[in-house]
Order: sequence, then C-alpha cells, then structure tokens
Amino acid sequence: MGRFIARRLVQAIPTLFGVLLLTFLLSRLSPSDPVKLMLYGNTEVTQEDRAQLYHALGLDKPLPVQFAEWLWQLAHLDFGNSIYYHRPALDLILERVPNSLQLSLLAFVFIVGVGIPLGVIAALRRGRIEDHGIRVFSVVGHAVPEFWLGLIFVLTFAVQNRWFPIGSMNVVGTDCTLCWDRAWHLVGPVLVLSIAGIANLPRILRTEVLEVISQDYVRTARSKGLSEQAVVAVHVLRNALIPVVTSFGTILLLFFSGQLIIERVFNWPGLGRLTFEAAVSKDYPVVQGAIIIASTLLILSYIIRDIAYAWVDPRIKVK
Amino acid sequence: MAATDATVQQLRVPVAETRRVSAGLWSDAVWRLRHDPTTLVAMAVLVVFVTLALGADFLATSFFHRAFSQQDILSSYEKPSLAEPWQWLGTDELGRSQAVRLLYGARVSLFVGGFGALTALVIGLTAGVTAGYFRGWWDDVVVWLVTTLNSIPRLYLLLIVGILWRLEPFPFAMFLGLLGWLGICNYARGQTISLREREYVLAARTVGCTPLRLMVRHIVPNILPLIIVLGMIEIGQLILTESAISFIGFGIQPPTPSWGNMLTNAAQYLSKAPHLIFPPGLAVVVTVLCLYLVGDGLRDALDPRLRGAIGTRR
Repeated sequence: MGRFIARRLVQAIPTLFGVLLLTFLLSRLSPSDPVKLMLYGNTEVTQEDRAQLYHALGLDKPLPVQFAEWLWQLAHLDFGNSIYYHRPALDLILERVPNSLQLSLLAFVFIVGVGIPLGVIAALRRGRIEDHGIRVFSVVGHAVPEFWLGLIFVLTFAVQNRWFPIGSMNVVGTDCTLCWDRAWHLVGPVLVLSIAGIANLPRILRTEVLEVISQDYVRTARSKGLSEQAVVAVHVLRNALIPVVTSFGTILLLFFSGQLIIERVFNWPGLGRLTFEAAVSKDYPVVQGAIIIASTLLILSYIIRDIAYAWVDPRIKVK
Repeated sequence: MAATDATVQQLRVPVAETRRVSAGLWSDAVWRLRHDPTTLVAMAVLVVFVTLALGADFLATSFFHRAFSQQDILSSYEKPSLAEPWQWLGTDELGRSQAVRLLYGARVSLFVGGFGALTALVIGLTAGVTAGYFRGWWDDVVVWLVTTLNSIPRLYLLLIVGILWRLEPFPFAMFLGLLGWLGICNYARGQTISLREREYVLAARTVGCTPLRLMVRHIVPNILPLIIVLGMIEIGQLILTESAISFIGFGIQPPTPSWGNMLTNAAQYLSKAPHLIFPPGLAVVVTVLCLYLVGDGLRDALDPRLRGAIGTRR
C-alpha cells in the first residue's frame, strides 16, 4: 500500500506542473501590459523609466526564466500580494479553504448517504415505479443549473418564507463552526451542491448492482439461506461499490466548479466567493493563487479516491 | 379454420414490423428512433427552440414589435400578462420584454453550446484517434494534457480567462470547446487502442494503407456514432457552463442577452420581480434535458448493446 501511495504521488507531479505552466502562460498571454496599467494616467514617464520598471519587475527576461523564477517563489509559498487587500494572497486563500471544505465534505456525505440507498432501491425494484422515479430524477437533476436551483431555494425559503437565512455562514455578530446556527446556514448550500451528485450516483450504482446480482456467488449466498438484506449488504453492495468509487472523480470535479457558483448564490465566504470577488476587483494574484490551490486540492482528492479504490479492490495494486 | 386464421394473424403482424435484415447502421438507427417516442418528442422540442432562435429577428419585429434592447421605464418589473405578446413573460428592471430577450438569449446559448461542442468534438476526435493510433510520446503528451485540464476546475479557468479577455460569443464558444474535449478524447483514444489491433486494420495496413487513410476510413467511422452521442451531451454541458459563467458575470457580456446573464439580472431583483428567474432557468433545463434525452436515445438507437454504458454526465 505504501508503494502504491508513493507511486500515485509521483504521478501527480507532472499534472501539477501542467497546472502551473497553464496558469503562468494564461497570465502572460494577457493583452494588458502590467507596466502600462501601473503607470496609467501618468504623463511624466519617459521611455527609460518604463524600461527600468520592466527590468525591476523582471518582465524583460525570457519567458522560461520568468517561469522558473515564478516556480521558485511558489516553492517558498510566495503567491504574491493581493492588490485589493494588501495582504499575502496565500493567507487570504488558506483562511477561506476550511469554510469550503466544510461545505463540500457535508455535501459529499449527503450524496453518499442518499445516493447509495437510491441506487440500490432502483436496482432491486427494477422496472417498478421507484426505479422510474429515480431515473426521471437523475435525468432532470443532470439538466438543472445548480445556481438556478439555489436562486429558487433562496426565493422560496429565504425571501418569501423566512425559514432559512438568505446567505452567509452565521448570524451577524456570532461566529461558530459547530453549532445549530451554522447548521441552519448550511442547509441550502449543501442541498443544492448535492443535487448533481445525487443525480449521478444512483445511475451508476444501479447498473453495477444489476451486474453483480446475477453472479454465481450471490446465488450461492441466497441458497445457503442468508437473508436478502445480508446478501445485498455484504455480497452485492461491497462489489458493486468498487466502480462507483471511480465515479467520485466526477463528483469531485463538479464540486469545485459548483462551489464557485453556490458560494456566490448563498454568499458563503469560501474559496469560491473569494475567487469571484478577486476576479471582480481584478485582483490577479489572488485569482491565480486560488486556481493553483483549488487544483492542488482537486489533485489531492483524486489521489485519495485512488487510494480508496485500491483499498476496496486489492486487485488494483497488482496492475 | 379459426385456428388457421389466428396463426395467419400471428404470422402477419410481425412480418409488417420486421425491418430489412441487411439494413445498415444508420437506417437501422432511424428505424429504432422511429419507435422511441421520448427521443422524438425531445428532438421536436429542440427543433422548435432552434427555429425560434433563428427567427428571433423576424419574430421581434413583426410579432412582438419590440427590440431586445428596447427600454420602457414606465412599465418596468411588470408581471407576465396576456395583454400584448411582448408582455407574455413580463418585463425586467428597464421594462425590456422578457419574452424577446429570451429568444435572443436562446440564440446565444444554443450557438455557444453547439459551436463549442463542435470544436470539442473536432479536437477530441483528432487528439484521441492520433494518440491511440501512434502511441509513443504523442500519446503521453495527450494524456498529460487531459489529466492536467481535468485537474483544474473548469469554472476557475473560465474565470481567469474572463478577467483577461472580454469575450464575444464566438471566441467564448471556442474557449469552451478548448476545455470540453477531454471526455471525447478519452473515449476516442480508448476505442482506437483496441480497434488498431483488429484483423481488418492489420489487413488494411498490409495492403499499404497510409496511417491517415487508415484512421479516416477504418477507425473513425467505427467510433463516430458514439462520438456524436457524446457531442450531443457536450452541447448540454456547455449550455450549463455558459449559463453558470455568464451568471457570475464573466461570460457573455450585456447588453447581449444570454440565458445566464438574464439570470444575473433576475437574481439582483429577486424580491422585487421574482417572476424573472423562471423563464431563462426553465429554458436551460428544458434544452439541456432534451439534449440528454436525444443523446441517450441516439446511443440506444446506434448501439443497443451499450444501453446504460455511457452516463449523461462525466
């Protein structure tokens, strides 16, 4: 297992390098000249001053050198300073990450908690009303934009009926991470963030359960007198869940994109909202840092998924 | 006698329904599609939407008598009413007709989805088939690109693009396509790797077929049906992405209406004019739903063995 994890970590290096390269290139491809922006409206600047400024900022060096210097800075955890807050970008980002993680982890637990029973029910009641109902929900759930669902939630449960708060994490003036107030604020964003996953998971699980349930060992388990619950829980589900773990990758990718929108709709002060606000105020270092951190988190979650996969299916390590 | 009649009846019914034994892939698919009402209805809805979007100019001038940017401050925040056609879906904060804007929004959203998916399809197919066929360093590069792009949340990437450039619908659709080819590429690559070991490919190579001809004539036609299905699903995905990124203000810029940026407006006046959030959102849901249904239906029609093998969302 240790070797597997080590190999998986090494495999992540080129991916991370690609993310950094792409982020760097995007900023250099930008048509706006940083020096022009800095000197905007200043008429007394000579050509020499400009050249000096280019030199001071390191913009006159060849691109590969600039990239290497930038990587060196990142390696020292220097993501630059926020133009808007005048604080290190990394500090700003790391302050927000726990809020986003709280949201995502809860939504993930919710997806697994609701999605697995739904998938099993759909397979066991194949062709019945439950199966059709779950199928319709899956297809529609895929087609609904999350932010729109969020808006409708806010409109019906926060504006027209005052059942849930309209946004943010806590009632103004209070600050707690594990309390009823926070739970009350979490309901909307977690529900909306889970929809895509809850639509996705049962569909995949249903196919897998149907595949496994016709296997010989399931028949053996039944014929030796095990109860139906024991057969499903021990013999069917354990094997059907293996491919489902792979599909968590999709859910994770959806999460990180979904966050950006959901945090905007529900005014949740997480990584997504920080990035959005930084983008509005053209705070480039923060946006760049947020993309790098979000991608790193995503790569890490892929690794965790693969480890989970190897753990539920020991055959994978042999390959 | 009666028994014979019954037998004749039984024999006759299936005969009328049987299709040609030697039907090709496409005519076979058309036959199956004709017997799939869900897919047919979804297709019809899409055709209506596309027609309405294409006829937006004509409808705006001769039926609604309103341009999409025409303001009427005196009748702002109006609820939907049947008084005049342009008031059917109400008006926004500047008194602009929501119905007319929805039509023009359809134009932008459908174009962005369609053109973006086409770009994604071309890139994904080219990269996937060549990577799977040649393997070696090129395959490594393609796989590395796919994993890298899959590791950056799409909306974050679009956000950074949105800061750097103000995009018109055309380059915007292109950008979406540049980010959306990963799934198609993965599928094309996997299929090519298994197809290139087949006897008929070996036979073609033996008689001196060039790699280009081999890929175009022998491999692509075999994977094209499902690539088209993935393309349909991609259109839906891109329409969703467009609406999301426009909603947060970094996609299609006003005054050009898109379903996404109409919802931005609606969100701002949520308590004052709640009716504004329903039409654009429902338009997205219905369009994307129909695209998925047509995609599913096409997949079943083109290859019934694969029923349920490819999800609607990757």
